[in-house]
Formats: sequence, structure tokens, C-alpha cells
Amino acid sequence: MATTSKQYKAIGEDIWKGRTEKINAELFALTYGALVVQLIQDYEDYAEVNKQLEKMGYNIGTRLIEDFLARSSIGRCADFRETGEVVAKVGFKAFLNITPTVTHSSPPPPSPTRGSGQSNTAGSSFTLTLDENPLAEFVELPEEALEGGLWFSNVLCGVLRGALEMIQMQVQANFVSDVLRGDETTEIRVTLLKYLEEEVPVGDD
Amino acid sequence: MAYAQPHPRFSVLSSSSLPSTDHLSPASSSTRFSLPTAPSISTASTPKPGLRPNIYDRPLNRTRAADVSASAYAFLFSELVQYTHKRVAGINDLERRLNTLGYRVGTRVLELMSWRTESANKAPKREIRFLPALMSIHTHLWRAVFGKPADAIERSVENADEYMIIDNDPPITRAISVPRDMSQLSCSSFTAGIVEAVLDGLGFPARVTAHNTPTDQFPGRTTILIKLEQSVLDREEALKA
Amino acid sequence: MAIFGLWVINKAGGLIYQRNIGDGLPNLTSNEYLVLAGTLHGIHAITSRLSPTGSSSGAHVISGETFKMTILLTATGTKFVILTSPVEPTAESMLQKVYELYADAVMKNPFHTPEMPIRSEGFDTKITALLGTS
Repeated sequence: MATTSKQYKAIGEDIWKGRTEKINAELFALTYGALVVQLIQDYEDYAEVNKQLEKMGYNIGTRLIEDFLARSSIGRCADFRETGEVVAKVGFKAFLNITPTVTHSSPPPPSPTRGSGQSNTAGSSFTLTLDENPLAEFVELPEEALEGGLWFSNVLCGVLRGALEMIQMQVQANFVSDVLRGDETTEIRVTLLKYLEEEVPVGDD
Repeated sequence: MAYAQPHPRFSVLSSSSLPSTDHLSPASSSTRFSLPTAPSISTASTPKPGLRPNIYDRPLNRTRAADVSASAYAFLFSELVQYTHKRVAGINDLERRLNTLGYRVGTRVLELMSWRTESANKAPKREIRFLPALMSIHTHLWRAVFGKPADAIERSVENADEYMIIDNDPPITRAISVPRDMSQLSCSSFTAGIVEAVLDGLGFPARVTAHNTPTDQFPGRTTILIKLEQSVLDREEALKA
Repeated sequence: MAIFGLWVINKAGGLIYQRNIGDGLPNLTSNEYLVLAGTLHGIHAITSRLSPTGSSSGAHVISGETFKMTILLTATGTKFVILTSPVEPTAESMLQKVYELYADAVMKNPFHTPEMPIRSEGFDTKITALLGTS
């Protein structure tokens, strides 16, 4: 029943190789860069730019999930750990041709009686470590942007939040570090807030 | 096609391609230095400028043949159009802004292409005549950016200063269906911006726009219209002699 | 063996796309279609709770003497419904293809607002190419 991480890797590879139309990565990086510069001009405030990028990503995520589901035919994940595997090995691979390393962590059990090791409870999280970042190719942040706190690739956090929300997972996603800012790694942490109730429609009357 | 206002591309160019951050600086405000008010983890990272990887150490050819999925690009481009659309008054304004965004891409694509031509060629040469430059855009630029050459080049019958590049099925606008009440809009204005930047960079200043010219066989067929500045025509004339 | 029609129902039960293929189907009023879609949405939700062995994705096929409706419920809650002749072996694979076209021509189109009626020439054209002329 449970698909292993290796199998997901194979599924991701398979989608990328066999079922994905491709476009030049430089065009992608330069287009994203042009957009970020536009936001900086429009908002004149880096915190606001971060927020906008996340918002735009969210909007993308709510749409992109349909493309993902239509093409991957992957069913519902058993738990949040599995979600992390699918996001990294199938999602990132199919769209960006990268496979971030995924590190899981469970929240400390609130009370010892509830049992631990469950990766399905609120507070479960996974961290995606990006060795490569197709959005940030050619990018060096100017001092201003660094001091202003710009998370250049913040759109990714929004995409994750939007896409997962559409499949009933409310998450919080944010950058923990970014090599563009002088960090050793580029990491996004995704934390499960809650599973959204399946919407039961009210009968028409 | 009147250009009453100064084109914003110049300010764009200066702010995005120079290391100076004058144009990029957000106005001074108290929120300028604040990090997003998300969870405490985000404060874990304070910028360490000294440690940043040097961009000049990265091999420039690394991404030359790299790909991402066309879907990823389509979603990014769609969002870029939505964002721009929200902030403009009409179709002309929307096209102008898409052109500006494309222009930023074009200046950089030209740099990469020139650098690659130079490093691959023992005797690199610069095109000083317009037609060969146009051919190169049709073939090499299109191939570098869209993975295929454009489909045709035409010269305007009525206007000596107008040339056209035809793409029967532009990859970046494939998913876009423009609503009927905006039927004049061509999102390939972004591509027009790329072409305009490349022409500017090569020394053939022109105004470049995009137009829907569908046929039954190619509903997405698009014409990139190049209107050369008089100075270019004059120089071409002089070089003929 | 024939395909008669296609509906797309949004998460809230609203009909956002309806297309008759060929002239097999009688023309109902748009109001009737909306009621039908809303009702199907409600029934579908209940059937998803009927399963004897835990959670289920609800009714998959509803059939009559002269036609059947095959339903694809996506993980996001959107429903694609295809109306075909009772024995139409391609119904399911067609639905899957419709879903892909929807991802391409609707979700990637900047002029489409999610959950709102689909007015996209690109989608129409692709559906026609896939399911036949109307």
C-alpha cells in the first residue's frame, strides 16, 4: 500500500522524462527575475514584496495542483510524511526538474498518553533542502534587498500552501535559509496546521 | 501606435542591470528592514553578505540546455499576466507593461547569446546590417528562448520601416484564451519586449509590438511587428553605397 | 457507442461547463442543467458516505436504459461528468483526458477565474477535438 520514497522518485523521473513538455530554464529564471524586479518597483518595500510573492505563489498553487493531479494520477497520501515525499520527489521533479532533499520531523507529542510517532498531527513538518534553485539562476541580491529581508524565491512557499490547501491540507510554508542571503543551504519548511474538513454540501432546497 | 509617453524600459534597464541599487531602493520607511511577520523560524536567517556565493564563479553555460516543465512556465506567465492585468487601465497599458517585462528578459538573453557566440567562435562577428540581424533573431534567438525557430519573416509592403516575425504557435501563450471583449490583446507583447531589447542591444532601435493574426490552421498565430527607427534606415542606406 | 455530453461541476456544486456533443441529448434549459448539476452534487456527496468499508469517492457511474453518466471526482473536489451510451468503454479514459485539457486550457489561462464558468475558446476547441463536434 505505502509507496516508498524510491518509488516516488521513479514516478517523478517518469513524469519528467515521458510526460512533460519542456521549456528553456533560462527563460524561466529571467522571467521570474523580471517579475520580482517589477514587484520591487511597485511596492517599494521588501516585506511587502515577500508577501506579494507568497500571494502570487498561492494563486499559482491553487491552479497548478490540478495539472499535477491530472498528470501524476497519484492518490491521497496516507500521512503528512508521505505528502513531503510526493512534493519533493514528484512535484518538484515534474515542474522544475529538481529533487530537494526532504527531512521529516514530528511535533513533540502533546501528552505522553496520545502516543507518538504519528506524522499526521498538526505541527508535523518537513523541510525541503534545495541544492539547485531554477528561479535563482543568475541572481545575486543587492545589499538593499538583503538588508530589506527579501526572500527572492518566496513564490515557492505560496505554491506549496496553495496546492496543499486545495487537497485539504492547511500548511504554513516559509524559507528558513537561502544561499542568496549567504546561508549555507536553501531550505523551505512546510508545517501542517490542520487537515481541512471534507466539505459536505448542504442539500439543495 | 503612438508613443506619447517615454517608454519605461529605460528606467527599468538602469535599475535592473546596474549594480547600483538607487532605483531599486524601497522608499525609506519603518517597515523597510522588517522581516515578514511569519513564525519565529524565519528570523533564523540574518543575511551574511560576506558568505554569499560569488555569482561570477558559476559556469554561465550550466543552464544553456537546462529545462523546466512548460507547465511551470505557463503558470508563472499566467500569474504575471494576471498581476499586470490587475494594475492597468486598458489593453494598451497591459501590452506596454508586458513589453517592459519582456524587455528585461531580452537584454539578458542577448548578453548570454553574444557571450556564447563569442566563446564558441574564433572570429566572432557583429552584425551591422539589419537583415542578417533579423534572420538571427528569427532563428537563433527563437531557438535559444523557445526551443524552435520562428516560422517566417516578412517585410511590410506599405511601410519600408516595418518588418514582421511570424510564430504560428507561440509556446508561452498556448494556454491563454483572451476573452472576447479584449480580443485585441496579444500576450506575446512580452515576446515583443524581448525582441525590442535584443534589437536595441544590437544597435537597431525599433518599436516592437505583437498582434494576433490567426488562421484556421493556426489559431494562435502571432505577428511580431518591428518598426525601425529612421536612424536605422538611414544607416542601412549609407551602408548600401 | 457514443458520447453525448460533458459537464464540469465546481466544488460548491455549480455547473461551470456544459456541452452537448452531437444531437443525441434533448436541450434542457440552462436552469434545468443547473438544478441537475446541483442535485447530482448533493447525491454524490451522500453516496460518498455510504461505503461499507470506510471512506469512498462516491458514486462513479449512474446508468439508465439508454445512457450512463460517468463521474470523475478530483482530489480538489471538482467533478467531471461525461454522458455516454450505456456501453461506452472509453468513458473513463476520456474523463481523464478532459481533466488534462482542463489543467492546460483552463487552469493555465490567466483570464479564467477558478470556480467560475469556463469561457475559453481554447478549451472548447480542445474538447471538440477530443469528443467530437457538437
